[in-house]
Amino acid sequence: MEFECCWFNSGRSPLECPNIEEGEEYLYTSQRKRLVEKCLTCPSFRRDLERIPEDNELRHIVSILREEYLEQRGHLNSLSAFLSSKSREIKFLHELSMVLQTSMDLDEVLSVAMTAITSGKGFGMNRAFLLMTDPERRYLRGHIGVGPRNYEEAWQIWDEVDRSNFSLAELSRQFYKSKLSSEKAKFQDILEHLTVPLHDGTHIFNRALRERRPILVENAFQNPEVDPVLASTLGVDHFLVMPLISRNRSIGILLTDNFVTNKLITPRDMQSLQTFAFPVAFAIERASLYERLHEEVEKQVQANQKLQEQQELIVRMEKMAVVGRITATIAHSIRNPLAAIGGYARALLKSSATLEQKREYLENIVVEAGHLDEVLHEVLSYSDSLHPVMDYWDLNQLALAVTSELKPLLRERDITLDLNLDADLPAAWLDYKQISYCLRTIVNHVATNQPQVDRIEVQTSRGHDTVTLCVNDNGLALTGELKKALTTPFTAIEKLGMGIGLPLCKVILERHGCSFVIEDRPEGGNRYCIVLQHKKEEKTL
Amino acid sequence: MTRILIVDDEASIRLLYSQELTDEGYEVDAAGTIAEALALLKEKSYDVALLDIKLKNESGLDLLQQLVKERHDMSVILSTAFSCYRDDFSAWLADGYVVKSSDMQELKDEIKRLLERKAR
Repeated sequence: MEFECCWFNSGRSPLECPNIEEGEEYLYTSQRKRLVEKCLTCPSFRRDLERIPEDNELRHIVSILREEYLEQRGHLNSLSAFLSSKSREIKFLHELSMVLQTSMDLDEVLSVAMTAITSGKGFGMNRAFLLMTDPERRYLRGHIGVGPRNYEEAWQIWDEVDRSNFSLAELSRQFYKSKLSSEKAKFQDILEHLTVPLHDGTHIFNRALRERRPILVENAFQNPEVDPVLASTLGVDHFLVMPLISRNRSIGILLTDNFVTNKLITPRDMQSLQTFAFPVAFAIERASLYERLHEEVEKQVQANQKLQEQQELIVRMEKMAVVGRITATIAHSIRNPLAAIGGYARALLKSSATLEQKREYLENIVVEAGHLDEVLHEVLSYSDSLHPVMDYWDLNQLALAVTSELKPLLRERDITLDLNLDADLPAAWLDYKQISYCLRTIVNHVATNQPQVDRIEVQTSRGHDTVTLCVNDNGLALTGELKKALTTPFTAIEKLGMGIGLPLCKVILERHGCSFVIEDRPEGGNRYCIVLQHKKEEKTL
Repeated sequence: MTRILIVDDEASIRLLYSQELTDEGYEVDAAGTIAEALALLKEKSYDVALLDIKLKNESGLDLLQQLVKERHDMSVILSTAFSCYRDDFSAWLADGYVVKSSDMQELKDEIKRLLERKAR
């Protein structure tokens, strides 16, 4: 029997098999492959089968095998196409997930999500609207819409996308940079109509959120479950309501439709979108939280800045207050003796005063002039304390010199002076004039103001890195409050002469990098201690 | 005779004010502390008290509050080297306020004004 088909021959040339195409040359050498891939679908092979006599069993069996094979092959091709589609989808979701997992910018997340839904390289829906739950969790509000408004715009957009040949990531980046705000504005009228109170349990959006599943709406204009206003706002009778839920929190609703092409949304589309909705909801929530966190941080930064400004203001005001207090105290200390001097001078000018009165007035003038001199001395000492002249000095020698000056005062007040000086004292790093002033001031204060003192001891001693100069008295112990007041400048406990004296000592010693301590003595009385460094330190200057 | 009480911790000021006001024809007593002032107030009544604000460790404003409560018939003049107390609410309780000066004319005028007001 002559066969039309070349299926039974081996090593065929291209001219003998018209079905073998370029790139399929391997079929010339493999009869088995050629038979399976080409001959079974070749019309000549079918006709050859029909030419086999009907009573030949082989014809019947080969026909069955051929049909079964073609059916299985069709099924395999279908499965292959499905797998390819799913593979693309997984790749696409992976690409999206990467962006959604890393982005903290809400607008960027929305750009990726909305582009993925509406792009042909993504889910290929015509339009999408995102509704978000407001911060008070009272309303769902239209947030953004993406897609064409009409057929003309649709063709224009799709043509642009086709020609650009951008990947999904590039499309979403472009959307984020140049189209996001214009798309929001473009759909403003529709978005305004998409506000739904969350307590409205009958609304299809709230139903989707409550039931945590997507709802495919069909025949929307006649559907009793769909708000007619919603149907007319969207202008389509077929759309998908996709709830966005993250960790049991309702984030919003994704509405999508094929407004231009009217293509039906299939259950498979719905399933794919549902898979996509989970990471989108999570990414939106995270980005929203990050945005709020950022706002809170910004508020904190501003609050801190204000606080810092206020602190600086307080410091400035404190400085001004100190200056004011200093000025007022000096004015007070000058005005009192001046008033007395002037007053007595005027009284002297009156001829009615007796000789004895005149003498008394003159004595008062002399005393008050002396007070003015003290004021001047204190103010100048304060000024000098700002510019110390440091060097190594023998503290014992300094103590001897100062106490020697004060002997007349102590004698006048019946106070015994004891000197207890350490013979091995090292030289101390100090401003001789200022430390002399401090020692003089302390002894003077104790002798003049401290009640019940009849013995003062001036003592020097050495520590590890320090030398100590102490003035000890046997008077009444000072209260803690008074100790503090004694070293606070211009407190109202004394006149200027002593009001500035001890606080000035404290200032001078702080500038020396040393301390000034007033403490109780175990045996009774008070101890005024100056602790000095006996080595030079940079910060002391 | 009009009696005036001077309360000031500065001895020279007390003496000066006492002499000047005595020359003006007033009967004058002087105290250096609040305790001395209260002791004198127990013994005598005064028409005018001349009160210094800074009294060493005490405040004349404390005495002022006490006098306002207990001595309604006595005028109180604050006399101080500070001008800033004019704005202190506590100082507003006083009938007069004079800043210390070598020229005592302002103080004398203020005393006269208060005595005239009291006489009306």
